[in-house]
Amino acid sequence: MSDFDPGRRRFLGHLGLAGLGALGASSFLSACASSASGPTTSNGSGAVTIQSNLSSPQAKAAMEKLIETFNAQGKGTASLNTIASETFRTQLPTYLTSANPPDLYTWYAGSVANDYASKNLLLDVSEVWKSLDDYPQSLRTLSTDASGKQIFVPMNNYWWGFFYRKSNFAKWGVQEPKTWTEFLALCETLKSKGIPPIGIGLGDTPWVASAWFDYLNIRINGAPFHRELLAGKQRFDDPKVKAVFTRWREALPYFDPKGKAYPFQEATTALLAGKTGMFLIGTFFADAAPKDALGDLDFFRFPIIDPAVPLAEEAPTDGFFASAKTANPTGTKALLSYLAGVEAQEAYVKASSGIVLPANPRAKASDSPLVVKGKAMLNEAKELTQFFNRDSSDALQPTADTALTKFIDKPDQIDAILREWQAGAEKVFKG
Amino acid sequence: MNKLRTGAFHTGMILLSLLWLGPVLWVVVMSTRSFDDIAAHGVGSLPRSFTLDTYRQAWTDGGELRALINSMLVTVPSVALSLGLAAMAAFALSRFRIPGRRTILLLMLAGNLLPPQILLIPVAKFSELTGLYDTLWALIAVQVGFGLGFYTFVLHGFMRDLPGEIQEAATIDGAGTAQIFTRVMLPLTRPALAALGALSFTWIFNDLLWAITVLRTDDNMPVTPALLALQGQFVSSWNVIAAGTVIAAVPTVAVFLRFQRHFVSGLALGAVK
Repeated sequence: MSDFDPGRRRFLGHLGLAGLGALGASSFLSACASSASGPTTSNGSGAVTIQSNLSSPQAKAAMEKLIETFNAQGKGTASLNTIASETFRTQLPTYLTSANPPDLYTWYAGSVANDYASKNLLLDVSEVWKSLDDYPQSLRTLSTDASGKQIFVPMNNYWWGFFYRKSNFAKWGVQEPKTWTEFLALCETLKSKGIPPIGIGLGDTPWVASAWFDYLNIRINGAPFHRELLAGKQRFDDPKVKAVFTRWREALPYFDPKGKAYPFQEATTALLAGKTGMFLIGTFFADAAPKDALGDLDFFRFPIIDPAVPLAEEAPTDGFFASAKTANPTGTKALLSYLAGVEAQEAYVKASSGIVLPANPRAKASDSPLVVKGKAMLNEAKELTQFFNRDSSDALQPTADTALTKFIDKPDQIDAILREWQAGAEKVFKG
Repeated sequence: MNKLRTGAFHTGMILLSLLWLGPVLWVVVMSTRSFDDIAAHGVGSLPRSFTLDTYRQAWTDGGELRALINSMLVTVPSVALSLGLAAMAAFALSRFRIPGRRTILLLMLAGNLLPPQILLIPVAKFSELTGLYDTLWALIAVQVGFGLGFYTFVLHGFMRDLPGEIQEAATIDGAGTAQIFTRVMLPLTRPALAALGALSFTWIFNDLLWAITVLRTDDNMPVTPALLALQGQFVSSWNVIAAGTVIAAVPTVAVFLRFQRHFVSGLALGAVK
């Protein structure tokens, strides 16, 4: 729609109306068309609209509260639009390319944002970043596009790890493993007690398996190789990638066989009920835990496989970007500055029940032992990756889902699976 | 022997209807469980808690009232408008010698054979160009446009079989075309209109695809996307979603109970020529 101009719009508008009018309802529809153009034109000077995918009740309430506070401050007005996250994901390209797009969007940092930036759809927010000079360099890099300008403002991040119930580990008399060997020994112990050691939930949520691939790859081949692989600069049928699956196979007998059938939310229930030993998952899973179980949760980092590889962790970063076509760039940037501030970030962390770390280094995270431990783990890491789809694209994710679920089913066919994966990935990178 | 057969028939049918009602019952039961109960024991377990707070959450936090109003604002005019237009088109196509009427009818029907998915982007862009994007009018226009072909086809089949003598008699009595349509044809087509009305009400009310294609403001969303919005990014409160689903099902169930008779006749409509 770059060749868009008001004249053509009016012409086509009449054309459309004439067409509809011919159906016998001209007065009916032209009345509504004139009322419909009202909000379209008033949008520019007025409220900044935020299109949000934070649709879970707590996160939605937290966002509503933030916007309320912002509006009360008198620096501008904003209106929040919460869309089901699944709808949001599929409609985001439509929103961004529409002639009159919403101003601000919740989304992910990194290559998914850069993808839109390379199509000139995102607003340059370098100005906002001038006041964020105390943000860590890693977040700045993550928010910068290929041409060197910032296009993203991070709100918070979270971590992945092996979560377990402290009371269950105590009951079974086992401890957190540090290395891969210790991890396999732990699995063996749990299995001998009749408990499926590793929980997973792949039904409806096959992407959960990508965490295993990501972690094994950054533990064995390191984060730089992982990034290159996901950017299409390395091949999936490389022997280095095969090495990842050789390791994975060692742990495969310990996976919960029921995990293929149910989604991760039910895998959480299984973990909490002591039907599985541990579960590699992001902190968001805690939203699916009953309140009385939260205090009993603990986690350990993905075991070290090769101590020579610099330590990397997965820390998906969430935040905001703005449309390049916003009619109110000043207001949008003012809102972004507010959202990146200490006050807003602390308020969000407090109001949303999710275990998240604020992006602003001066904002205090929750002081629960779990959050303290998670923050320490991320600080210790030399490199941060995000997650498979966030480091590559939503288009590449399905190729991973297919390959990984197939591998878990038929680990013998790994060579063929990797060849197919490479072929699938090539199509995505070309397209 | 006869008794045995009746017994077997009834047992079989009871089992079959249980199979049918099972999922519905499951949703109703789930809607009365607390979140912690579901989180601790899974969605499939027997209820260990009872609460009606889920309905309050779906109603107020989920904004179901607004969504139901939106749904009605879209569904009622869409049904009225599309049936009105379809009746006119069917009248013209079935009772007058319009050149190429067969082609017109087939063309209208052919539109229904296209999978709607391939039209999503054109519809979104076109609604933007007309300035209707993100308004309920856009949704009404889309629903009317996409329903029209099928309704016209069905009504055409029905009207064609009405005896021509009635129309001739009306003409002799001095009725014009408009009068024949409103005073003769429409009353005679009532059974078909009622059946189609009931069917189209459920179709439009339950539509999700077009709603999320042409709308983007949460205050404008009808009830189906609003239900979807009860799902979180990662974790969903299934009990609240179940409660919301039960609420959202009420209007369609009400319409079904009211027009039950027509539903069945509607399914057979056009089956026998």
